Amino acid sequence: MKKHSKFQGTKINPSRFHPSQIRYLVILTPVVMFMLLPLLYIFNHAFKPLEELFYYPPRFIVERPTLANFTRLFQVTGTSGIPMSRYFFNSVIVTVLVLVASVLISTMAGYALSKLNFKGKKAMNEINTLSLMFVGIAVTIPRYLIVEQLGLIDNFFVHVLPYLAVPVGLFLIKQFVDQIPNELIDASRVDGANEWQIYTKIILPLIKPAIATIVILSFQTVWNSADTSTTYINNDLLKTFAFYMNTLTANTNAVAGQGMAAAASLIMFLPNLIIFIVMQSKVMDTMAHSGIK
Amino acid sequence: MTKKPMKRNLRNNLVGWSFLSIWAIGFILFMAYPLILSFYYSLSKVTLSGEGIIVDFIWFENYRQIFSSAAGFSFLQSVRDFAFEILFKVPIITVFAIIIAVLLNQKMKLRGLFRAVYFLPVIIASGPVINQLISQGAATIPLVEESGLIDLINSTFTESLAKPIANIFSELIVILWVSGVQILVFIAALQKIDRSTYEAAMIDGAGPWESFWKITMPALKSMVTVSIIFTIINLATFSENDAILHIKNNMFALDTGFGFSSAVAWIYFIALALILGVAMFAIRLFTKDKVRR
Repeated sequence: MKKHSKFQGTKINPSRFHPSQIRYLVILTPVVMFMLLPLLYIFNHAFKPLEELFYYPPRFIVERPTLANFTRLFQVTGTSGIPMSRYFFNSVIVTVLVLVASVLISTMAGYALSKLNFKGKKAMNEINTLSLMFVGIAVTIPRYLIVEQLGLIDNFFVHVLPYLAVPVGLFLIKQFVDQIPNELIDASRVDGANEWQIYTKIILPLIKPAIATIVILSFQTVWNSADTSTTYINNDLLKTFAFYMNTLTANTNAVAGQGMAAAASLIMFLPNLIIFIVMQSKVMDTMAHSGIK
Repeated sequence: MTKKPMKRNLRNNLVGWSFLSIWAIGFILFMAYPLILSFYYSLSKVTLSGEGIIVDFIWFENYRQIFSSAAGFSFLQSVRDFAFEILFKVPIITVFAIIIAVLLNQKMKLRGLFRAVYFLPVIIASGPVINQLISQGAATIPLVEESGLIDLINSTFTESLAKPIANIFSELIVILWVSGVQILVFIAALQKIDRSTYEAAMIDGAGPWESFWKITMPALKSMVTVSIIFTIINLATFSENDAILHIKNNMFALDTGFGFSSAVAWIYFIALALILGVAMFAIRLFTKDKVRR
């Protein structure tokens, strides 16, 4: 095992199997089962016929799979005025805008708070850590007033703006920037790099795992959020997919609604899974290349 | 560092704040200002009417009510339960995340896949998916409940202790599901350790147990703090948290309203800050003790 380590320092999977690996696999595999249970549940639940949905205790595996939940969901869809694609399109735009902007803003701020020296840095750090603890829901009404004062009610960008300065994202990014050795930055400064070059050429490539994590986390928050649509938007054309899915399942009767809700949550969940699969290799693709040991 | 001329300082401040500026503006608008407003509301009787929001300043009446009314009492109780929960869950999650991270850092077959699966809960635990799972009772292990373990716990511990312990066992799966980011953070720290350090230690006669405490743990120390902060915040702002449900329910309730709800949120905020403070103090004590030995 150790013999190969020199050659495989940057590879995730070693190419050869060795009996000494068995002990790790023995511990890791059973827990993996637990980790996969929710996925199994979401997929199976959506295909359950009505009576299976109400089994107690709930079962993970569907016994007689059916597409009835989906057909019912799309039938309701057909009767309302605005096409589903419109909501979907809205959500895609909102999500892309939030991801790009929030990654840019929080990495820049994280770099400043971690590696630059300026007045007020310490205070800003403390303020951010403190505001982590404040529960978002408690500022719903004050935020509404601000949005109103800024004249942003029924403005499309109101879906984006509240998600741009999220304390958790900055907190995680900053922790990763902290890990980058100062020597690396000093060396490039000696070589004549300015702050912007250090940020784009050194910091950003080295914190890719953190960026990928933030992308996954904020994708979920934004994609699944119906709050901005309910609170700030009156115009139906500007509402998001998550909001639409919520109304679909909320307006029907409780029993049939259960099946539709299961189908809708699978549809809502799939993009999360896709983003995760795309981003996860970057998340786990190590900080091993950082150059300085 | 030597004393810098004034000009240099000015330049540093300018660069630092320009990296931070966009974030700072967003933060002030959508976080800081709403927070200040919500504190003002917590000192007021807030009535939502057709013409807008009517705010009557009543000093600390809302806070007095929290400590004297039934609604306030059940909130305080849920904060107390939450504090107990933290006390048990945070160490469990941290230890679990460290163990898994160390295992996932070993060379073995399918390591990439394992890492992905252990990070997978991130897209489940913070999304609406977990709410659905919990509300349908799929998040508990039926075995745990049926094996009589819960009864055993109830009979051996006092009432205030038994509840959180029983909770932990019935929420065992949920605990595994919320440790994704923590595992990632530890893996990132582990990858900074040079493998040759372990080899050198081994040649000097250190066993795996000693290597773990003398090499691995010191490298993880700063990340333990990060992981604990993240865990507490993640649990505290989890949307199904009892205390948050109190804030939500009181917000539009007729007898209490947004003023009361803001006061509740602020008390929760202060409680969380205290919990974090105690946790930080404990970590500092613990690490100091290590150094002395």
